[in-house]
Amino acid sequence: MAEVSSTQSTATGAPSAGSVIASAEIDLSCRVPLLILFLSAAVWLLVGSALALVASIKFHSPDFLAEQAWLTYGRVRPAYLNSVLYGFCVQAGLGVALWVLARLGRTLLAQPWLVILGGVLWNLGVTIGVAEILAGNTTGFENLEMPSHAAVIIFLGYLLLGIAGVLTFHRRRGRELFASQWFLFAALFWFAWIYSTANLLLLTFPARGVAQAVLTWWYSDNLQVVWLSLAGLAAVFYFVPKLAGRELHSHYLALFTFWFLVMFASWSGIPGTAPVPAWMPTVSTIATAFLILPVIAVALNVYRTMGRLIVVASGNPALSFVLVGVTAFVIAGLMQAGLALLDARQILHFTWFTTARSQLQFYGFFSMVMFGAIYHILPQLMRTEFASAKLLRVHLWLALVGTVLMVVPWAVGGIVQGIELQDPKVVFINIMKGSLPFLRVSTIGDLLLLLGHAVFLCNLIGLVVRFYRARAAAAYAAVTADLFKAAEAKT
Amino acid sequence: MNPDPNEPGSPGSEAAEPKAARASVPVWLFVLFFLLLYWGMIYFDQRSAWADPQVYIPYHSAAELAVYQSRLEGPDISRGQLVFDRTCALCHGPDGRGKPGQAPPLAGSDWASAAGVNRLVRIPILGFTGPIQVNGQQYDFPTGMTPIAATRELMSDEDLANVLSFVRQAWGNKASPVTPEQVKIIRDRIGNRSTQLTAEELKGLPENM
Amino acid sequence: MNYGPLLFLAAFFALAGSWFGFVLTPQVQLGQLQQTNTVPAGATYPVARPGLGHQGLEVYRANGCASCHSQQVGQTGTVCDVVLTDAGTNPPALIQTLLQVRPGLSEAEAKTFLGGLPKPVLERVTKEAADAATKALTVGGAKPQVWIVPTGPDIARGWGKRRTVAEDFLFDYPVMLGSQRIGPDLADVGARLPDANWHLRHLYAPRLEVKDSTMPPYRFLFEKRRIERARSPDALPLPARLAPEAGYEIVPTPKAKALVAYVMSLRADAPLFVAPLTVAAPPPETNAVPAK
Repeated sequence: MAEVSSTQSTATGAPSAGSVIASAEIDLSCRVPLLILFLSAAVWLLVGSALALVASIKFHSPDFLAEQAWLTYGRVRPAYLNSVLYGFCVQAGLGVALWVLARLGRTLLAQPWLVILGGVLWNLGVTIGVAEILAGNTTGFENLEMPSHAAVIIFLGYLLLGIAGVLTFHRRRGRELFASQWFLFAALFWFAWIYSTANLLLLTFPARGVAQAVLTWWYSDNLQVVWLSLAGLAAVFYFVPKLAGRELHSHYLALFTFWFLVMFASWSGIPGTAPVPAWMPTVSTIATAFLILPVIAVALNVYRTMGRLIVVASGNPALSFVLVGVTAFVIAGLMQAGLALLDARQILHFTWFTTARSQLQFYGFFSMVMFGAIYHILPQLMRTEFASAKLLRVHLWLALVGTVLMVVPWAVGGIVQGIELQDPKVVFINIMKGSLPFLRVSTIGDLLLLLGHAVFLCNLIGLVVRFYRARAAAAYAAVTADLFKAAEAKT
Repeated sequence: MNPDPNEPGSPGSEAAEPKAARASVPVWLFVLFFLLLYWGMIYFDQRSAWADPQVYIPYHSAAELAVYQSRLEGPDISRGQLVFDRTCALCHGPDGRGKPGQAPPLAGSDWASAAGVNRLVRIPILGFTGPIQVNGQQYDFPTGMTPIAATRELMSDEDLANVLSFVRQAWGNKASPVTPEQVKIIRDRIGNRSTQLTAEELKGLPENM
Repeated sequence: MNYGPLLFLAAFFALAGSWFGFVLTPQVQLGQLQQTNTVPAGATYPVARPGLGHQGLEVYRANGCASCHSQQVGQTGTVCDVVLTDAGTNPPALIQTLLQVRPGLSEAEAKTFLGGLPKPVLERVTKEAADAATKALTVGGAKPQVWIVPTGPDIARGWGKRRTVAEDFLFDYPVMLGSQRIGPDLADVGARLPDANWHLRHLYAPRLEVKDSTMPPYRFLFEKRRIERARSPDALPLPARLAPEAGYEIVPTPKAKALVAYVMSLRADAPLFVAPLTVAAPPPETNAVPAK
């Protein structure tokens, strides 16, 4: 196992050109900024999961919390999606991205104040946005429900975070790029472009008619399928070889994945039933079918990297999280590509199946990978271990079982719903009634996920508390040691 | 490295940064790519109508769309009005009252509202020259009427039928519409003639086709 | 090799490609659309929503109705009906042709067929068959018509007469097409549920109108008011278990009325060139003087 390489300058001074920077120093430079990002992300995840549970319960008892306007299903659901997507996913993704870029570049995090300010702005924007959605000032565009004043703040926050990332990437030592760096570099400017385009052409200078819908679908797809895959796969390609102690099986397979993902995935958003000319859903179907290629490439790469070690992986909770995430990525990708190849996208478009696939993408894949990454990164940043690895495993099981219980009934229920929607003899209300048993199981899944996310936040806070306690103890010990020394010297 | 007294203990040794081996991409993945490309091209050709903005699923081309249009029963009066406003109103006036020195009135005209259309249809096709009596009033225009619908390129059978049908039910006129088939028959009968009509010739023609 | 710039260019052009395809091209093809005309009548379509309906769109947006309701009707095919509107002046010849065109018909049935026109002679046949039948049936001045009928599961379910197209949403901002059908599709709901009171009751207590509905009640869009001199004409008639106590009434707020006006203005059944459909012709007017 490798060791931390030594530095040739003092811990506080800037390293001279040509000297190697210790990982510990890199982690130190990342500590405060990333702590802000990760803790805020964890809080948003908890908030989002709570809103998701509320929304889920409303299917079984529609009168649940129905008196207040701000708690109606149509507001709670977008609030939950935005909390999870922007509050947790993008924020955590950026935090992990910054750390991975710094580590792979063997350089300190560039301009930590940019990250701190960016994080503050980001959280401010998301808070305002989610509050506005609950207040009824939603924009009406899916995945872009936060009104423009919140969106501007979020975008500014992103710019600061993105610039820090680009600067860190630019400062790298060594010309050879590892796979994760391609994915992250692309991800950094991808979000800026899609977010600004979507906000400009939907909120500031609105397009006319269904061009708005096409734009919304383009943006949603680029955020959920492309950006989350880019940021998530970057973490996968970094953590799987690192935590398994092996080399990534194939640099070229990773390159293949990268190319096919960026070339095809951003065309896959238009559904088959859309009131748009035929060429748009057709192009989307073709692009979605092509997604099977990067999915297979990732599965192959990870499987060959891990080999027999997959069985042993349960020893390391962080690695388990990442591997669960990869599995979910492959399943979600196969769900999507399979539908396209079977030409069945329009049958399952309005059903729970699409929700299942989307949840699998951001809960099953991205969140799991982020959990694994954060569980590895944070102890490095704080130079403290978690109090008990058991709590990490509790989180793992809660998240895994919760995701399965949420996604599988929705997928199956969605297929049933889709088939029944095609049959005009089935009365519509019976279709909805038929989905309820599936929804009951998925509500339990929501509950387990909420508990799991609460455990996650507790784990993180516990780690930080441990850090400060140890630091306080060390300071106390140092002070008292001095006193003893002084007392001894006197006698 | 100098241990920092403010920092708690090191978390233990951490693995090195990952590296990537250089295994090659399996050939079958590329084969799959080309198969998908082939499927994709066929699928695009069949379903996309090559980016025609008017073609929605389940139609395949604008030609197919045209086949499925509802046909109007009878003349297209709004089309006829459009053609009239664009072509005839210049001389006959937008209200059909004619313009002094240019054209006789069409509103309430006995020529326009005649039961048979044989005479009326020939006027725009052949043009007119010389004096004419409309509703008891004598009109004589030095320039006459140009053959405004001399060929099908200038005005199609449908357009001529529509504009004449429009005239025959506008401004208080109440007469039967003119069909494109009637226009076609009359044009075939006229053939390649270039001389304009006169009032005597018109009176000599049968009213009905 | 210094990958940095190459990487950037690769990802840049990939995103530029999809930006060109799904941001710029739709803006050109759909974002510049103007009002069109219905076929064949030539009426302008679409017309903007009435003012109250436009306010209702804001209520629809604010309460996230698109989270459960879609507004997209799909279509999987087009078939034709042949409808006979006029028997003409030669019934015997027409009956003979009828028997040829519709082999399953008996002579007696064919004779009775000619009374009580207009009636469909052939239903759900291809265009070629319909055209052939129409040609054959034009005997003795009989008037057969070919009716274009879109088909598909949504249409069979009564959710629309034809598929929704871009022109149906021309003046809407935001366009809320929805992505779930937890509730029925609303693209053409104004044609199928034209009763404002039904909608108001359904908003207040969905299970009153639709048993087992999972739609949440929108009681916050209504107001419980003390009855002053007399009951308001807007007051909702509610059964005893939902009615307020004596002396009070439930009245819709302006938001509820606006939302209902919006829902009732949702129509997508005008026949267009891009979405052909035959609608029953209105009764003919007599030689109207066209308005200038």
